[in-house]
Amino acid sequence: MPAPVHGLEGKTALVTGAAQGLGRAIAERLAREGVRVAVNDLEASERTDEVIAATGGIEAIADVSNPEAVEAMVQAAERELGSIDILVANHAYMTMSPFVEHDPADWWRNVDVNLSGTHFLIRAALPGMRAGGGGRIVIIASEFGVVGWENATAYSASKAGLISLTKTLGRELGPEGILVNAIAPGIMDTPQLDVDAADAGVSPEEIRRRYASESPIGRIGRPEEIAATVAFLAGDGSGAFVGQILQPNGGTTRSLG
Amino acid sequence: MAIVTGAASGIGAVVGARLAERGWRVAGMDLRHSDSDLSLQVDVADRDAVRAAAERASTDLGPVSLLVTAAGVYEIVPVAEISAERWRRMLSVHLGGVANACWAVVPGMLASGAGTIVTISSELALAGGGPGDAHYAAAKGAILGFTRSLGGELAPTGVRVNGVAPGPTDTPLLDADSPWRDPDYLKTLPLGRMVRPEEVADTVLFLVEEGTYFAGQTISPNAGAVI
Repeated sequence: MPAPVHGLEGKTALVTGAAQGLGRAIAERLAREGVRVAVNDLEASERTDEVIAATGGIEAIADVSNPEAVEAMVQAAERELGSIDILVANHAYMTMSPFVEHDPADWWRNVDVNLSGTHFLIRAALPGMRAGGGGRIVIIASEFGVVGWENATAYSASKAGLISLTKTLGRELGPEGILVNAIAPGIMDTPQLDVDAADAGVSPEEIRRRYASESPIGRIGRPEEIAATVAFLAGDGSGAFVGQILQPNGGTTRSLG
Repeated sequence: MAIVTGAASGIGAVVGARLAERGWRVAGMDLRHSDSDLSLQVDVADRDAVRAAAERASTDLGPVSLLVTAAGVYEIVPVAEISAERWRRMLSVHLGGVANACWAVVPGMLASGAGTIVTISSELALAGGGPGDAHYAAAKGAILGFTRSLGGELAPTGVRVNGVAPGPTDTPLLDADSPWRDPDYLKTLPLGRMVRPEEVADTVLFLVEEGTYFAGQTISPNAGAVI
């Protein structure tokens, strides 16, 4: 069977939080589809260098919760690549704590990075997308934003906010040919699981085993499966998707988000 | 080998053609002749006939590893005028058609430990329809519930069941004067246009080829009709 083709050759993308986990898989998948990728993360590191080398992309370092830094980053990426056709808002900050014990500053950090950061990114990339006559925005939300999660009020609220942002911007930007959709992954095999393991007081291996057993499909998800979903939402075949929340989660929740 | 119901026209025909392009052998089930590797003229509402047709398909083309259920009928009838017969027919074709096809192919998929099923429902299952859509929306809503439930039930077995709920799609199912083609209605959609059957087919292909962590989900290319 021929490899899936999404008509992405020659497009440009900015992928945030791309040093590891989902972001890295997304950047690498888009690069394989012929996309020129700007690789964002909070700071430059060996990991970002590896992703840039693997994708043939460019470096785009910024703290997405800083609007001035985001503006500067997007402008720099646009100077090198041209306007951004595909924005993948994948960055995330996650800390877990019982609600009343959660340090307020850290609580808000979840929201600042995940929700406000996405707003700043879209605002910065939008003029270029408009000038280019359209674009795709794929927001990586979370199953936590759909069903909630104990000890993750800040993260879950920020991700639910992203889902609502997706629906609203789907309506608002759809008429311009800028299609905004989200993916709410279930439990994925990423370094983020170490946070959950620490919260639960168990080993990373134990948390993976536990989550796999809780999923109807009997395993946790692979970053490549999210990357494939991004490629679909960025590509030719998904032109009628707008404001939708796709939930690759092995069947843990089957609502509409 | 794939079975596609409703393969003679509309979404089913385009799905069948796209699958063939991607290397699948396709058996089409439809009341009418379908342009597929094996055209099986059968009423999907007839459980025994569907089972016999599926057996014929696997005898001729090999084990069924993919089922796409696109068979459907559409009519606008004010609720007070929906006779019991019309009501049952609508449910038999949609919910019954999906269930009959699943009954026919799931045992083989379970035996092989793998398989993919994609049901086609409708955005009207998500948001309800307009006047005269009660029986259609109920039938499509039933497919949504069936898909979620079967998707959860079969996920541990390696058989993936998911659905696609298209928005108003430009197919012969909708008459030329259908309210879903009315420019004034389409203007209210964020994308301002109907969904193309190719977009539904590409969504099916995504779920089949790369949607490997989707289970019991229904995704909706609907031009913004339901957000």
